[in-house]
Amino acid sequence: MFSRTDYYNIINYILKRTRDYDAEVLISGSVEGLTRFANSEIHQNVYENINTINIKLLKDNKKSELVTTDYSEKGLDAAIKEAIQNLEYAPSGDYPRMVKHPILTEMCSQNSELVKACTPENRALQLKESFALLPSNYQAYGIYSLTSMRLAYGNNNGVKRFLKNYYAKVNVLVSDGNDGTSYYSTLTQNSKGFSLVDIFKHVINRASINNDRKIIEPGEYTVILEPAAVASILMYLSFAGFNAKSVQDNYSFLSGKVGEKVFDERITIVDDWHNKNTMPLPFDLEGFERKKLNLIVNGVAHDLAYDALTAKKDEKKSTGHSVAMPDRGGIPLNLVMEGGIRPLEDIIKDSDNAILVTRFHYMNLVNPRLAQLTALTRDGLFQIENGEITHALENMRFTESILDAFNDVVEISSDRKKIPTFLGNYYVPAMKIRNFKFTGKTK
Amino acid sequence: MQRKIDTILEYLKNHDVDYADIRVTDMLEEEISTENQTVMKLSTERSVGYGIRVFLNGALGFASSQNFENMERIADKAIELARASALTLKEPVKLSQKEVVVDNYSSAYKIDPFEVSKSEKLDLLFAAEEAMRANATLVKTTGFLRFSKEQKTFADTEGSFIRQTIIISGGGIQAAAANKTDMQIRSYPNSARGNYHTAGYEYIKELDFVKHAKDIDKEAELLVNAEECPSGHFDLVIDGTQLFLQIHESIGHPTELDRVLGYEAGYAGTSFLNPDMIDKFTYGSEHINVVADATASKGLGTYGYDDEGVKAQKVHLITKGIFKGFTSSRDTAPKINQESNGTARASGWNRIPIVRMTNINLLPGDYTLEQLIQDVNDGLLLSTNKSWSIDDKRLNFQFSTEIAYEIKNGALTGKIYKNPIYSGITPEFWRSCDGVANKDHYVMYGTPNCGKGEPGQVMHVGHGCSPARFRQVKVGVNNVLSN
Repeated sequence: MFSRTDYYNIINYILKRTRDYDAEVLISGSVEGLTRFANSEIHQNVYENINTINIKLLKDNKKSELVTTDYSEKGLDAAIKEAIQNLEYAPSGDYPRMVKHPILTEMCSQNSELVKACTPENRALQLKESFALLPSNYQAYGIYSLTSMRLAYGNNNGVKRFLKNYYAKVNVLVSDGNDGTSYYSTLTQNSKGFSLVDIFKHVINRASINNDRKIIEPGEYTVILEPAAVASILMYLSFAGFNAKSVQDNYSFLSGKVGEKVFDERITIVDDWHNKNTMPLPFDLEGFERKKLNLIVNGVAHDLAYDALTAKKDEKKSTGHSVAMPDRGGIPLNLVMEGGIRPLEDIIKDSDNAILVTRFHYMNLVNPRLAQLTALTRDGLFQIENGEITHALENMRFTESILDAFNDVVEISSDRKKIPTFLGNYYVPAMKIRNFKFTGKTK
Repeated sequence: MQRKIDTILEYLKNHDVDYADIRVTDMLEEEISTENQTVMKLSTERSVGYGIRVFLNGALGFASSQNFENMERIADKAIELARASALTLKEPVKLSQKEVVVDNYSSAYKIDPFEVSKSEKLDLLFAAEEAMRANATLVKTTGFLRFSKEQKTFADTEGSFIRQTIIISGGGIQAAAANKTDMQIRSYPNSARGNYHTAGYEYIKELDFVKHAKDIDKEAELLVNAEECPSGHFDLVIDGTQLFLQIHESIGHPTELDRVLGYEAGYAGTSFLNPDMIDKFTYGSEHINVVADATASKGLGTYGYDDEGVKAQKVHLITKGIFKGFTSSRDTAPKINQESNGTARASGWNRIPIVRMTNINLLPGDYTLEQLIQDVNDGLLLSTNKSWSIDDKRLNFQFSTEIAYEIKNGALTGKIYKNPIYSGITPEFWRSCDGVANKDHYVMYGTPNCGKGEPGQVMHVGHGCSPARFRQVKVGVNNVLSN
């Protein structure tokens, strides 16, 4: 396993041999042990240790990029040689300059307690203990993993960056054997207060009420979206709306609307890696410091996420949101949505007729200019009548413009949850929304 | 390397494993993309490493690394994981039998894409963008090319030793037009993903981006001001650039045996199929014949042997509408008293092989495209996938395409619609098919980015198909939209 010194040694080796260029080196490293279970037994158990070195060279407005996993001297020499050769073929372009300040940013977390708690044997033993809680006919599915993530960056301006994080992740789905399922996902950097058994108890309890499901017809309904469902929606807004590239490409629902009120005034969404309920990511994949973004403030669209290239186009500074995908631009990864006044429990108690949505599955953009999304509900859809869950419902498909939905808000919960998503770790509340369009049935 | 492989297998045998295999992979990839006649990406990526898979007392462990200096440590890690797995094991994993094979395989190609200069490739993309812009008012034009050369070695404690080299080439172009309130795209040869073959640079020449620019540039411009696609129930002719994904989502995935057994339930979902349905369930009309064929020419899912050393083969999934079977691996097949049919694939050296699609192909029928259209009084021809979504059992789906062409009284009227959406329930949809175009219209499509598994794996899979006709399919969602 590489130490910080090892990463800097590789970076320095490359930069020394590319002094004549604007050179930058990014190393992404991951050491991960992942235990996967299905039918209440471990069916896949894997470990990987990988470091990927990305070399970018810029000279005379020509740019080339090379990625390698061969960090031997021979491998690095070959990579450098090829990266230099590639410059010959590259046409001239108007590329942004490399980051200059601050010179050093480092964040290193050691978490020996978490590592000890999540060895392969301990993960298996915790799972065994949790499986024993399952009622007969119930089965559990999911993952339990421990990851050490590393990012190291350096360039010929003398800038250095280093980040090391540890986190454990758990996804649990419990089924009653009759399609009655429930699901929970969490990510933690702290072994204290983390209990797999408690997670299982919660999920089993919820699965036990997801039975005798009734069918409803497509139509408009008042829904209460739990935080996992809200997080899915925000994820799609993040790369198809909140990023400057999608606005520049006329693709975003915010095209022509930055500075205008687009959502209900109770909605405020920021991107803030300092919030301890997200994941610390002080810099992006171009080495720029990650700035806090006020994406939506009281319903008004404010900031957009930029990488260096999109920032140059708009004559702004990078906000530090590069994900090393120039066709996507900058993407916010630490979304935090402000909570409301009352907890979810009270919102439910106060609802005469609403549908509680646990989470969504296979969401996709239908019309990005309208922020129109579609997805299925999954792992728990429940009818609420007179403040109580009365029965479970069969899953439904929705097709909805979020520009409409986020302007039809009844209430936002005060309590929020940490939700890991494909594009980052968010901290979001539940939302009660009227006139939400379910457009298809699954049975 | 052979010596290192032999040594580590001997080490594993000495640790009394039931079975072990090792895959060493050297993957070279090149990605070139342009946007608005500027280079967006010009990168080469090389990834070399190995993964060791161990079954010990019926339990599985897998460990991988890029460090070849201390392979025993990784072997020990795999054993440690297998021992941990055993703590919850209900029943030891059984592996189906396979042949012991010593062989080499190379995918077919004429021009090594890595010997074609980057400047030639960039010139092609710039020329394609210029061709699109010459003909239409566009806000964005893009072009991209991707190539990979995967050299992998598989060896196991049973004595198999297989070397394979697989070259993939492909790309695409896209035109985008916009006005104040809308933006529309058209893509060639196949959606924003592009299209790819197990082939060399000759495939790029065959695609002829410059010539086909005119197929899409004007349409993108016209779409912006076109009418929204109407809602209702229509007869649809769906061309291959959309149908490939319909096949992928609603046949390819539900017929993966590991999904049926629950192995993906915590993530991608399960399947509405079960083994009792084999030879009994009417999946589609008699026009529907689907195979999983890892031997198909130029398919993205074409290889010599899967990543468990099982020979590539053709598997019948649906024959004349009747469901015939699943794709499977050595650990899943015995659960239904079968042998693996060779579809265990890993996306790289650092991933475990799991059941994946190969080339899931809808076999051609008897009609010409014109004949399919002629028998439609009031319908639509849908082309080029734009959006996709399906439930966790693979039943309720919804797709949108880039464009719909109006069909009235058996002919295309010339009218186009934007934002077409159609939806349905998988077996009802496939049963509504009453015609598949013939082999003259058959094209090997594919997707380079099928996601599955935890940790996530992205796999390239093929889908050969011709256009097909479906009756009375639900189009649009306006019956439940308030505006």
